[in-house]
Amino acid sequence: MTPLISLKRVSKIYGEPPSQTIALKNVALQIKKGEFIAIIGPSGSGKSTLMHILGCLDKPTSGEYYLENKLVSKFSENDLARIRNRKIGFVFQAFNLLPRTTSVKNVELPLIYSGLEKAERIKKAEDLLKKLGLEDKFQSTPATLSGGQQQKVAIARALVNNPLVVMADEPTGNLDSKSSNEIMAIFKNLNIDGHTIVLITHEADIAKNAKRIITMHDGQITSDKKNGNN
Amino acid sequence: MEIIETLRLALEAVRINKLRSALTALGIIIGVAAIILLISIGSGLQKYISSQFEKLGTNTIFILPGKIQVGPQGGPPRTVNKLTFRLSEKLEKEKGDLITDVSPFIELNITASNRGKSKITTMAGTRSSYFANLDIKTETGRIFTDNDNKASRKVAVVGQTLANDLYQNQNPVGKTISLSNKTFTVIGILEPQGNVGGIDIDNQVLIPLNSARVLTGTDQVNSILVKTASQETLPQTKEQVKKILLRTLSEDDFSILTQEQLLSTILQILGVLTFALGGIAAISLIVGGVGISNIMLVSVTERTREIGLRKAVGARPKDILSQFLIEAVILSLLGGTVGILLGFVGSIALSRFVQTSVPVWAVFLAFGFSSLVGIIFGVAPAIRAARLEPIVALRHE
Repeated sequence: MTPLISLKRVSKIYGEPPSQTIALKNVALQIKKGEFIAIIGPSGSGKSTLMHILGCLDKPTSGEYYLENKLVSKFSENDLARIRNRKIGFVFQAFNLLPRTTSVKNVELPLIYSGLEKAERIKKAEDLLKKLGLEDKFQSTPATLSGGQQQKVAIARALVNNPLVVMADEPTGNLDSKSSNEIMAIFKNLNIDGHTIVLITHEADIAKNAKRIITMHDGQITSDKKNGNN
Repeated sequence: MEIIETLRLALEAVRINKLRSALTALGIIIGVAAIILLISIGSGLQKYISSQFEKLGTNTIFILPGKIQVGPQGGPPRTVNKLTFRLSEKLEKEKGDLITDVSPFIELNITASNRGKSKITTMAGTRSSYFANLDIKTETGRIFTDNDNKASRKVAVVGQTLANDLYQNQNPVGKTISLSNKTFTVIGILEPQGNVGGIDIDNQVLIPLNSARVLTGTDQVNSILVKTASQETLPQTKEQVKKILLRTLSEDDFSILTQEQLLSTILQILGVLTFALGGIAAISLIVGGVGISNIMLVSVTERTREIGLRKAVGARPKDILSQFLIEAVILSLLGGTVGILLGFVGSIALSRFVQTSVPVWAVFLAFGFSSLVGIIFGVAPAIRAARLEPIVALRHE
């Protein structure tokens, strides 16, 4: 089976010489469908840069990135927007919900850019919110929700377009331990349902929920192993 | 993304930030209301003057003093007035079949006073036919008659403002009024006529022509009005008047204009004036546009994370561009609509003091101009929003 994601000698360099920062150095990585990967490492190790490139939010300076056998590292801005819209779901540390906007409207946002009809958008958004146990929070704005509830809305938004891969950047970083456990349980269940998940974290406790753990240091992958606990 | 969705998004953003939207639109509201108001005053003035001239009838010829001459030291231009009573008497004598009426007209600013109170006012010396010609009536008392004129009686018909200022709550009819230190008797008060283009028509006093001639002590008149039987005889009458005048005056000393010519000249000047007033108000609309630009730039900075998120979930640069551009246009159209309504209400309120009229073209002009302002001043912030890098925008605190 061909991998879902394949990185070949991917490097990312910020700035012009002599004050260059090398964020990624010749990274090679393959991700198969249905994997649950945690990328760990200290801050500045390049894990966020890696996620940005995997999520098509940023382009590598050199190297090749294949997503479903397509060389997306050569895609235009508009094509990348389409990839982010259809193929990738993002979950952020700070939730990044639109303020003063209801849960349903937040969740349906990616569908607006896919050009779906309003009735269909609302149905999909409500179904997902229901599935995550937020059936009584459809019309709530983020300010009236707890951190855990906000992150659930964000997860619903990431899933609404049925993406190939869900990218989660420190999804529990702003949450207490009870909410963190809840959110991680959701990710585990999603993986059981067949979703491919890439989780970025610096906490070993959170990372151990994944099936495969990749450790990064100074822009390079220093270890890549199966997680025996799972 | 479809245009209807973009529109919905932009409306949502305007609705969510109510106070900021209102404050942003305020600049446009004031600008558009100012345009409508100023144009309504200008075109009210045009309407009033047209109606006054139309009352005189199309069979009227105006004789006005000569052409403007440049002073000896190249100083300010001044008109040498060579129109006199004697001239009008000459016209009267030789009027023949074509000319039906000759009435000279004196108008100047004098001081009117009563028991220590005084006011600068416009005094007009006319024939009694003036009242009928211009459809002016008295509210109390009577107008002066041909006999008053023939006998040079010192009688005066005063306007409302003058009557109120000099006599307060008393009825001035039968009382005396001092005009340039000559004592006259008030015989009537005119119906209120209001204010036109900032000039109070009710601040005036009308006296018989011959009395005015005695009062001013000169033979000069401001203009001579000649009437003919009908519009058909107008060109011949003009020729005849010109022939008579040329016997004593040179070509440069007078101009003969028909009612239509004079009216169109005045309306042309007023049209330019109205347009200039609107233009000044349009400057305030540009200031309003800068306000929109400013607030939209703040909005882009404030919503950087939102823009980043939208891009992360699949918004293309042009989706972001149209969202912010449409938001700016909505704000300015909102301002334009409220401004037009406010301008209407304002011109109705103002019509108690000044004659106003809101022409349809002014409404379209204001509406078109405000949407143009929205597009022009919305472009820069929208481009800035569209160009934001998704990761930079997402990291923004």
